[in-house]
Amino acid sequence: MSAARANQLDTMAPPVARIIQSRSLVIGLIFAAISIIGGFLRPDEFFRGYLLAYMDWLGVTLGSMVILMIRHLTGGGWGTVIRRILGAAMRCVPLMTILFVPILFGLPRLYVWARPLDSMADKHLREHLQEITKSYLSVNGFIVRAAIYFAIWNLLSFFLTKWSREQDQPPVRDNNRFKVLSGPGLILYAFTVTFAAIDWVMSIDPSWISTIYGLVILIGQLLSAMCFAIVVERILVKYKPMSDWLKPEFVHDHGKWMLTFIMVWAYFSFSQWLIIWAGNLPDEITWYMRRLNDGWGFVGLWLVVFHFAVPFVILLSRPFKRDINRMAWLAVWMLFMRYLDLLWNIEPNFSPTFAITWADVVVSIAVGGLWMWFFFRNLNSMPLLPVHDVDANEVLEPAHG
Amino acid sequence: MDERIEHAEGARAPVIEPGYTFGTVTDKISSIVLTRPMSNGWFLGFGVAFLLTMMMLYAMAYLFVKGVGIWGVTIPIGWGFAIINFVWWIGIGHAGTLISAILLLLRQSWRNSINRFAEAMTLFAVSAAGIFPLIHVGRPWLAYWLFPYPNSMGVWPQFRSPLIWDVFAVSTYATISLLFWFVGLIPDLATLRDRSTNRGAKIIYGILAMGWRGSARHWDRYETAYLLLAGLATPLVLSVHTVVSFDFAVGIVPGWHTTIFPPYFVAGAIYSGFAMVLMLAIPIRKLYGLEDFITELHLQNAAKVMLATGLIVGYGYVIEAFMGWYSGNRYDAFTLWNRLHGPYRWEYYALLMCNIVIPQVLWIRKLRSRPIALFFVSLVVLVGMWLERFIIVVVSLHRDFLTSSWGMYYPTRWDWMTYIGTIGMFLAAMFLFVRLLPMISIFEMRTLLPEAEVKE
Repeated sequence: MSAARANQLDTMAPPVARIIQSRSLVIGLIFAAISIIGGFLRPDEFFRGYLLAYMDWLGVTLGSMVILMIRHLTGGGWGTVIRRILGAAMRCVPLMTILFVPILFGLPRLYVWARPLDSMADKHLREHLQEITKSYLSVNGFIVRAAIYFAIWNLLSFFLTKWSREQDQPPVRDNNRFKVLSGPGLILYAFTVTFAAIDWVMSIDPSWISTIYGLVILIGQLLSAMCFAIVVERILVKYKPMSDWLKPEFVHDHGKWMLTFIMVWAYFSFSQWLIIWAGNLPDEITWYMRRLNDGWGFVGLWLVVFHFAVPFVILLSRPFKRDINRMAWLAVWMLFMRYLDLLWNIEPNFSPTFAITWADVVVSIAVGGLWMWFFFRNLNSMPLLPVHDVDANEVLEPAHG
Repeated sequence: MDERIEHAEGARAPVIEPGYTFGTVTDKISSIVLTRPMSNGWFLGFGVAFLLTMMMLYAMAYLFVKGVGIWGVTIPIGWGFAIINFVWWIGIGHAGTLISAILLLLRQSWRNSINRFAEAMTLFAVSAAGIFPLIHVGRPWLAYWLFPYPNSMGVWPQFRSPLIWDVFAVSTYATISLLFWFVGLIPDLATLRDRSTNRGAKIIYGILAMGWRGSARHWDRYETAYLLLAGLATPLVLSVHTVVSFDFAVGIVPGWHTTIFPPYFVAGAIYSGFAMVLMLAIPIRKLYGLEDFITELHLQNAAKVMLATGLIVGYGYVIEAFMGWYSGNRYDAFTLWNRLHGPYRWEYYALLMCNIVIPQVLWIRKLRSRPIALFFVSLVVLVGMWLERFIIVVVSLHRDFLTSSWGMYYPTRWDWMTYIGTIGMFLAAMFLFVRLLPMISIFEMRTLLPEAEVKE
């Protein structure tokens, strides 16, 4: 313990992180260039793909912030060992704030409510929108609300990072202030992400409502973040210092979290489907009609099997959950499933039959590349563990036997 | 390991006060059952509860003679007190299962002091809950028709109805809860068998202990069985109240048909359940001098769970209200308006006070360690959660789509007698339980002692 404390250099991320950082930037820039060209040639497809990519990577960012706050409230070695990984992902909030700006240029292409109402053919929808666009779904309202969400997320990220950074320099204050912020922080997150989900995704189809929708998006973000942390810890565990710290018990706990999030995702999604299916009201069921027919039904079925059933069964195995190598493969798969789930949520609004455009793939890689570059930049800028924090002892003490 | 960390942090209260040994823990808990004389207070409390039970039986007997017409249920409010009370009681039961199963799997050792009586609370609450749908069917002697069994009448349950899912959910829940509670009791029943001096008690405890000798093999199998039961009970914490929420949500009545209901009902169930745990634990620890076992830590933790689940319930209110407005659906908007301005508005305001406003005092750490204050906050939450079911059942039904079929609901004295009677039955069962069985798990408490730490 004291040996690790003595040498600060031991706790920095290994050189491999810098290599990934620079390569991510190259990939991100190349694909961003293609995306921009494509964006001028085929703007409709670009903005759909961009919203999808944005929601996907926003999930990893915000989910990491939430798991971090849960860790501050509950403690536990599982959270301490990935604390700085989650922190680095959380500190992508400023990047995501900037990356939100392009969406503002595509509002009329993405959202019917942002278009002139007179041009609308559907009389029923037009009447509905005439009321709601005056009070809630207006372009100004959309921007103001987004500014509020980003202000809250950036503030939370700022303070959690600042205090965490202070822990690297002794003397270290007690951890009470993390708790004091995290409790209200979780509440703020729950509400902001719910309304962001309504504004950015649900309002694509403004006549459809589902009160659980915010929670469906919320739990998806937590799952993405946990899977991403598992992938990064798999990369780092090949090198010091993570190889000394990551114990099978911690990986086991990460696996339990992943299993929990997968089950809760399935629970929320199934509840939403069952209630809407049983009610069978025209306002609501149309959302599922689109997503369960014309090719999209196969994606839905695929999600049932590979976003829930198969990973659920696999994760029941205790040896599997304790094996970081196998866990990392499943985590990569689940990140792909998160992408597919969001695709299934967003794209059928625009395309009644199953379709994946060039933008869905290219823009996701572009945003992902830039995000990874920023993430590894954050990861390299701080030690991988706040060793002066009392919580770190659980990670630093050698494994038994 | 967990306790050591808790002690190391210093600031937090211990799970069990220092100074106890295996022997003194066993003495303290078993003496309540075996040697402590019956107090006048116990007789008084049990007597009152028993009289209330008698009142319930009287109300039920009259119901069977006269039919459900003696209740306040009418058209359009066909689901009155019976469903409100059913949901209220079932919800209360959930905390017991959460404490005994989920907290066991999460290795939260503080649960060891409260799991036994919380499980008993679950059983009695589920029993009270089960009465209501049975007597609400009108002809309770035909209630077995709810089960799918081969018969010559051509009667078969409608499997698409959540009311049938309820039959399975609740009966599974009752069975697993009973098994879990009984299996958990076996080692302690053997302790009582060995310690009691009364021959009759020896025989009864002996039969119930099922030949427990405490051998290593017994313990090994016991631990496996207990963990398996915990694994089985865990999904029930979510599934039972989810199915109860489906009773409402699969219908299309405004105020019922909303997708947030499943998690919102589950959170509300745990909210009210922990309130009931606190309302029982606070007097019990005082009256039986168990402050060393049910410590400030337990009060703190239970209050935190209440605070968290209460906030989820609050989230449900906000989202439901927002969507009622955002959807532009005039019926959803009217439901919201009717709650705020309709004839039941005072009930709705009281609900918001009880469930959302007042419990926010639980943010104050000092208050969470004051038993009397916690007792009253818990009472407020229990009232609030009852009002919530009242709002969901009655206010949604009394004014739905057709103005011509609007109505009002007035519970009769038979409704109140049955409801208060079930509270009496619940309390009477709790009074018997604390006298006849060890209300805190003796052997699990022993595992919390420093003596129990195994050196590797």
